[in-house]
Amino acid sequence: MNKVKLTELGIKESRDLLNRKEISAEELTNAYIQNIKESSKLNAFIEKTFDKALMQASEADKIIGTDSQKSLCGIPLGIKDLFCCKNVKTQAASNILDSFIPPYESTVTDKLWNEQAVMLGKLNMDEFAMGSSNETSAYGPAINPWRMSNSDEPLTPGGSSGGSSAAVAANLCAGATGTDTGGSIRQPASFTGTVGLKPTYGRCSRWGIIAFASSFDQAGPITKNVTDSAIMLKAMSGFDPKDSTSAKMEVPDYEQHLEKDIRGLRIGLAREYSLKKGNPAAEQKWEQAISLLKNMGAEFVEVSLPHTEFALPTYYVLAPAEASSNLARYDGVRYGRRATLDTNDSILELYEKTRSEGFGIEVKRRILIGTYVLSSGYYDAYYKRAQKVRSLIKNDFDEVFNKVDLILTPTTPTPAFPLGSKGTQDPVEMYMNDIFTVPANLAGLPAISLPVGLDDFELPLGVQLIGNNWQEPLLLNAAFNLENALAFESKPKNWWADG
Amino acid sequence: MEIDTETVKKIARLSRIKITNIESADIQTDLNRIVEFVKKLSEVDVNGIGEFNFGKTYLEDMRLDSVAVSDSTDDILKNTKNKNQDFFTVPKIVE
Repeated sequence: MNKVKLTELGIKESRDLLNRKEISAEELTNAYIQNIKESSKLNAFIEKTFDKALMQASEADKIIGTDSQKSLCGIPLGIKDLFCCKNVKTQAASNILDSFIPPYESTVTDKLWNEQAVMLGKLNMDEFAMGSSNETSAYGPAINPWRMSNSDEPLTPGGSSGGSSAAVAANLCAGATGTDTGGSIRQPASFTGTVGLKPTYGRCSRWGIIAFASSFDQAGPITKNVTDSAIMLKAMSGFDPKDSTSAKMEVPDYEQHLEKDIRGLRIGLAREYSLKKGNPAAEQKWEQAISLLKNMGAEFVEVSLPHTEFALPTYYVLAPAEASSNLARYDGVRYGRRATLDTNDSILELYEKTRSEGFGIEVKRRILIGTYVLSSGYYDAYYKRAQKVRSLIKNDFDEVFNKVDLILTPTTPTPAFPLGSKGTQDPVEMYMNDIFTVPANLAGLPAISLPVGLDDFELPLGVQLIGNNWQEPLLLNAAFNLENALAFESKPKNWWADG
Repeated sequence: MEIDTETVKKIARLSRIKITNIESADIQTDLNRIVEFVKKLSEVDVNGIGEFNFGKTYLEDMRLDSVAVSDSTDDILKNTKNKNQDFFTVPKIVE
């Protein structure tokens, strides 16, 4: 089979061909390795593990067709650099973790390897997952494979899981892991025409994922389609004794929940979530998604989430507060970077100089603001108040889910934007990107972004479905139905493999 | 402006991040922008509202207090050049 076509396949299609022995895992893995080698312009893979991949693929080829075969046998995946992988350089795209090689494996990636997936390497991201454009990465930004029809200007693949979204969109891997603290899976998926799922808080173990904001962080898949999302989610999910916030609940076979009809499904449209005016194509695709769902028998209900306007301010108090605490461990003593010290420098200078050199500016800002809102005299006004507003935001969702099964929103206010165009003067401008995605993190709810079409400049647009806790089967099935009805098949033109 | 130069110094010290005088002005501007943004929370009536929690926690499901294989000292020390026998080395703390 033609190599280019092989890498265009998703996880399910590859699995079917592997099962029928029409292709080998080694052949599939080599095809992806070739694509990765030709994709340096995209800066998506920051650590390549091709030897490991070929070894795993060769093992997979021996297992396929036997009783020992598992759900992802021979499927090549990319892993966001936030997941610790044993003996593989893992830096969370930060200089402070310079050359860090974890002596352990994160639970989620361990589960993927137990399911016999193949590891192609580590994917670029915003430093410590703090960013919405991949521009805070110590490796420089990953580049979106999509370009505007009238320009060669490089666009952001979104953030923080921008390497993951770029890699999946450019066929550099069959699927990828991401993490989502305020939209870091769904926004990049929306910017690259891919499918991104943030599961319910507690669905996937956080153990071994480098912590950003522990009450928000959740791992999830970025894939080429909804079925693949269901397959990967099942492999990634489940209780972990090493994460007390992971849920002791059975993991459904999500793939088995697809292909059900959605007649009678009640979908909420929240009046607080509206697209930025001035993009008629985006409005038209949005209307089209609604009418397709209606045609399939879904009922739409207008709902209100009155505290939505406070979601971003709440997030930008709580997430930095948690980050300032989580990132206190990077002190230069045990691993990663250590600053060069003067003869008389004390341990305090060791900490201060190391952290000053090792962290990028956005990470510093968040640690400082987090420290501020937790400091004596400001704790009640900011941190405590934000925790209360978070309750109100969760209550809004609880009330709405008494009336509807799912909520439909745009994923982002705009499509992908040019690198360097946002947040350079004012960091808050970049934060506004997360306006539709942050509420699900505040409430711990599952949400999926899927592509609905292209705008006037031929850039992909996404919509988001938000479900109630543990409703991933319903969420994935609705997304699957919408995906089928939309039949979105556009791909970015391959400009990056030129020479 | 809520965050003045002294506050920047104070929180930088609490955060153990060295900030030069040149960086300080930009950081102060940025932090004040963020504070202005999150001040919107003062508009919300939070009387009688509890702080957020996820409801069910799984802390009651404690792990058994049993010996298990964990990371080895040798593996952990591979990530640093600053070591002496089985210890990390740091600048002298006690005179």
